[in-house]
Amino acid sequence: MNNKLSMIKNILFTIGILAIFFVASLVIENYFKADTLIPAAFALAVFLISLYTDGFAYGVIASFFSVLALNFAFTFPFFKFNFSIPENMISAIIMLVITIMSSTLAAKVKQQEKMKAESMKEKMRANLLRAVSHDLRTPLTSIYGSASAIVEKADCLSPEQILQLARGIEEDSQWLMAMVENLLSVTRIENEGMDLIKKPVVLEELIDSVLIRFKKRYPEQKIEVDIPEDFVSIPMDAILIEQVLVNILENAVQHARGMTQLILKVWVDEKNAVFEISDNGCGIEKERMPDIFTGYFEKKNVPADNQKSSMGIGLSVCASIIKAHQGSIMVENRKEGGCCFRFTLSMEAEKNE
Amino acid sequence: MSNRHRILIIEDEMNICNFVSTILETNEYQVLSAQDGKDGTTMVFSHHPDLVILDLGLPDMDGNDLIEKIRENSDVPIIVLSARTNEWDKVKALDLGANDYITKPFSTNELLARVRAALRNSRHQGVGERMIRKEFQVQDMIISYEKRRISIDGKEVKLTQTEYNIVELLSTHAGRVLTYSEIIKKIWGYSDSGSVKKLQVNMANVRKKFGEKPGEYRYILNELGVGYRMNQEEK
Repeated sequence: MNNKLSMIKNILFTIGILAIFFVASLVIENYFKADTLIPAAFALAVFLISLYTDGFAYGVIASFFSVLALNFAFTFPFFKFNFSIPENMISAIIMLVITIMSSTLAAKVKQQEKMKAESMKEKMRANLLRAVSHDLRTPLTSIYGSASAIVEKADCLSPEQILQLARGIEEDSQWLMAMVENLLSVTRIENEGMDLIKKPVVLEELIDSVLIRFKKRYPEQKIEVDIPEDFVSIPMDAILIEQVLVNILENAVQHARGMTQLILKVWVDEKNAVFEISDNGCGIEKERMPDIFTGYFEKKNVPADNQKSSMGIGLSVCASIIKAHQGSIMVENRKEGGCCFRFTLSMEAEKNE
Repeated sequence: MSNRHRILIIEDEMNICNFVSTILETNEYQVLSAQDGKDGTTMVFSHHPDLVILDLGLPDMDGNDLIEKIRENSDVPIIVLSARTNEWDKVKALDLGANDYITKPFSTNELLARVRAALRNSRHQGVGERMIRKEFQVQDMIISYEKRRISIDGKEVKLTQTEYNIVELLSTHAGRVLTYSEIIKKIWGYSDSGSVKKLQVNMANVRKKFGEKPGEYRYILNELGVGYRMNQEEK
């Protein structure tokens, strides 16, 4: 289906460009009497076609057509095919060679770009995998160690010691759970790609889910919520956006030192729903700002001791989720201190819904 | 001894099975376990448990098929253990007749709350349940079925007919998730493309009238993308 559609698009584009340049050439011939302009115009037409269609077949076909058109309409005898004049024939051959070469060149460039994007993605995936496996090791070591200590030394450990080890296991598994949720989100985007399934989600219910999930991990932390009174329904993948909000809130709890206030605010303008999470903590260092949303996917050497700080994956995941929703995300330090994350989601429903 | 509830766990992961059994046994439940769907089915019909906890990913058969099979002959409450990735997995299991689901990974408290709710529910289930019970109460909310009146902390809450019907429906299945489509079918009798939104708008109004804020819903809990659940826990 999609293939057919793009083929029709390519054909229409080819015919359209050829038609426009043909008419333009007729006009040029009438007004300027300069026949050197016309072959150049056709060369441009073929170049455009090969640049904006898929594969190089359209470019080659277009180049044949333009040679024929040139011979037919714009060389003596006008509006008649004539293949006997050697001068015309030579210019036709040169024209053919130029156009075919430029069209294959354009196709090659396009293919190279595709390969480059592909390898970038591959590289990002490898970096993510490396960083994640590294980060998984630390909590796993502690879980494994604590559990085997309990299993092997059950007799000589005091109940308090056992409790302490078990608490460590509990805490580290919670951290692992958060990490796995994030990885699941990444695979969910990768699977669905740009065809994310968006469903209308009631804002209040989304916020409710986020707050409940957040409270489970941080029962002490208060969040001030400011959302519209009216019924608001926003098309989105609820599980993914829930993840975004939880990640940003968690990030504040873990990194905003000295924070006493955490605010989650949502409002709707004409086209977008805007989500804003702000705190009054220590803010973000200038050096970290530029790659705060990409850092995790790009970092190459992970210091071995940064267990809890590696929530860095959270913000990178946020950015890819929002990107898959065709929204935008940004962060800035507030004048009053602390930082402010803001992301937008389009209010328009999908056309195919 | 004989009035202890009997719970059957159908789960192929021994570790999960062990820890769930331990939690349940320390809470005075009697626990049976099966490692695959075939044994599980046999045990449902031979041991007549009061509750089944079922993992959807079994080695020998699809968990959803098992739900259908059990439902052909038995009304035993079923709690499904599911992975978080897809909300429609849960919807499907619920629509096939599961009573509830718990998302992996879950905490001890979550598990026990769901087990309590499912067992309490099944005691009230059966013929003419609404006829027998005249009212429903959770925390400070009381629903009087005869007067079709709802009060919170002694004060009456004025709901429209539809709003009341939704709340009543949820209360007669308290503790259990009802999917959007289940509620729509029972309230309006038909469903079209705008039905879910209609339900959500009604629910938003109910919550406003109850005076509840997101993150603090006490009476009707929210299962994002799946449905709603009337709370049963006092706290």
